[in-house]
Amino acid sequence: MSGSKEDNKLKQLPDELQLATAAHIKYVQSLDTRVTELSYWMTEHLRLNGLYWGLVALHLLGHPEALPRDETIKFVLSCQKDSGGFAPAPNHHAHMLYTVSAVQILAMVDGFDELEKHGKGNGKATVAKYMADLQNRETGTFAGDEWGEEDTRFLYGALNALSLLGLLDLVDVDKAVDHVVACTNFDGGYGATPGAESHAAQIWTCVAALAIAGRDDLIDKEKLARWLSERQVANGGFNGRPEKTADVCYSWFVLASLEIIGKRHWIDGDALVKFILSAQDPEKGGISDRPGDMVDVWHTCFGIAGLSVLAYPGLEAVDPRYCMPKSTIERILGE
Amino acid sequence: MSTHDVPRTSGHRTEEQQRQELEKIKKYRELEEQFYSQTSSSSFEYTPALFQLTIKLLKLNPEYFTVWNVRRHLLISSLSPKSSSGPSRSTGCSSSSSSGTTTALSGASSQSRSAETLPSPESRTAGRDGQNGTTREGEGSKSKEADKKNAAAAENDANAIQSELAFIFPLLKDYPKCYWIWNYRRWILELAIKYLPVTTARRVWEEELGLDSMMLTRDRRNYHAWAYRRYLVAKLESTELGGKSMVEEEFGYTTRMTSADLSNFSAWHNRSKLIPRLLDERGASDFERRAFFDEELGRVKEALNVGPEDQSLWFYHQYLMSSITDYVGRATIVPNLDLEERVTYVTTEIEEIEELLEDFKDVKWIYEALLEYTLSLQQLEERELDAAEKERLGLWLGKLRELDPLRNGRWDDVEVDCKL
Repeated sequence: MSGSKEDNKLKQLPDELQLATAAHIKYVQSLDTRVTELSYWMTEHLRLNGLYWGLVALHLLGHPEALPRDETIKFVLSCQKDSGGFAPAPNHHAHMLYTVSAVQILAMVDGFDELEKHGKGNGKATVAKYMADLQNRETGTFAGDEWGEEDTRFLYGALNALSLLGLLDLVDVDKAVDHVVACTNFDGGYGATPGAESHAAQIWTCVAALAIAGRDDLIDKEKLARWLSERQVANGGFNGRPEKTADVCYSWFVLASLEIIGKRHWIDGDALVKFILSAQDPEKGGISDRPGDMVDVWHTCFGIAGLSVLAYPGLEAVDPRYCMPKSTIERILGE
Repeated sequence: MSTHDVPRTSGHRTEEQQRQELEKIKKYRELEEQFYSQTSSSSFEYTPALFQLTIKLLKLNPEYFTVWNVRRHLLISSLSPKSSSGPSRSTGCSSSSSSGTTTALSGASSQSRSAETLPSPESRTAGRDGQNGTTREGEGSKSKEADKKNAAAAENDANAIQSELAFIFPLLKDYPKCYWIWNYRRWILELAIKYLPVTTARRVWEEELGLDSMMLTRDRRNYHAWAYRRYLVAKLESTELGGKSMVEEEFGYTTRMTSADLSNFSAWHNRSKLIPRLLDERGASDFERRAFFDEELGRVKEALNVGPEDQSLWFYHQYLMSSITDYVGRATIVPNLDLEERVTYVTTEIEEIEELLEDFKDVKWIYEALLEYTLSLQQLEERELDAAEKERLGLWLGKLRELDPLRNGRWDDVEVDCKL
């Protein structure tokens, strides 16, 4: 899908299938003001992830300034623990998942200097050490926190954030790569651990981890692309595993994986665009898992990121390995 | 922040609804406040009130991993002291490595040990010294008393671990996709190994496998429950729990699961992971391997004859055929077939799949399989496609474009690759 042909096609879509940019921006801005809703308090354990999802959406929509930079950095730093790791909110405990979000947020708002100045310990190095210490030096995989649960999501998170910090050499990348390879299945996909069933979200973490490590040559691209392309179902959306219903978040996990291995054209982009847009709330903003459901910031992020991979007009380009704006990755990695 | 299957509503709330919601928020935040006021310093102590508080919060919000973490500390503190009972990693963001907590927790634990013989931690009350007298009165030989103490401690540990597993089971049933509950449950099981005699620990783990089967009856595809199953089985097989291989039983389990539901890709997947080990452990001869392969292939084809729309079956068929076509450097079912035998297998499959077309003209999977195995055959024989094959591939691709236009980009690539 490229250029003018795509633009024309999309202009023919009815109004409710146009991306409601202004509404989505307002929706993301409103997220931190919903203190009269119980769900706001019940989701505090996801706050830093939520900020990352919201910020990705805003950056891709071309409005990075819609959340104030100073407050963003202040909040992120308020979530840091002495260990260097980050919690989802100030009172909570640290975990890999939030540490990665913290690094990604700081990367997007160009806030590494503030981390160096005001972060715990030695700034970037302390954060990186927290993550590096979570690597299992025997198998190469990573734990989420000191309690030891391991998952390819944590391995990916570590490679993502450490590469952004420029400190990937603190971990054994070769061993991490070996571990990802050990998670490969006969269908070309990857699971959460060796032996686990292929799952689109885990596949993305594994494929993106290999790409960040510069080892995407280890992927059986034909086999994987065949399995991934079969995730697209009749309504245009993607499911995460065979025989499951489509869900907007897989628009990202499947599509970004296909993009990394150069097979994005194996699915129908127009049908996917329609599916994602039919799941948006055009008035109040936000995108849901599927048409007619409640919106949330997770699906809003991955829906918009999916549209960005498909070069939807007016959106900033997204990096399929990092789920962050390409411009951010270029600025940091100098690629 | 991530909701699934919740219908979109107008968002309008009546005054009464708003009042009720604010009331709920107030209660929830009060609980949180109490929780943090007792745990924010790095030297929080076990108290029955704090333990109860974690229960209240987790019942309201089982995703609250910080509360689970505190509960781990509390649970450890109620067990007999072990050399290293803190987190398995000593990266120390949390309180366990700080001296304050260690003292506080071990203090609590020794206190409770001497005090009780022991009910579940949940029902523990502040009256800790109630039974101390009785223990001291029995002034028999010192070793006898020590034995008694040890037995009491062991019973205490077993009770605490089992009541904790019992407490979270209803939560797991209500939130079967919550990572934190599954993680916490694994962690308790590891405690069972560390704290209980091996026979007791084994019984706990065996019961857990039964529970997992139950979870998989409720949702046959639950990703967590399948992962949990592999984890349980690996441990039950290990010497740590005095185990032996369970590959035959587990293979049998996938037979039952796939027979009950042919579309259960999770079960087919697990089967594919068990087969190489199964054959190795059986010490299967080439002849037996081939018989196994034929039976397995026959089984999946029988299912395809009835339901050729089922992609789970086709993926499994593809797995079996990769033993024939894609066998270099992989664990395969039939490693010692010669080229001629392999070619015969693939040729036969192509013929039989083509026969499916007589009954099912419009099932795209059939054309896809024909395409794939024709290309495999050509690669196996290390030759170019002949004219007849090219013609057939062209026809099948035409049908695929018609039946499966979503993936036209893929069919374009195949056409280019085959130089049609």
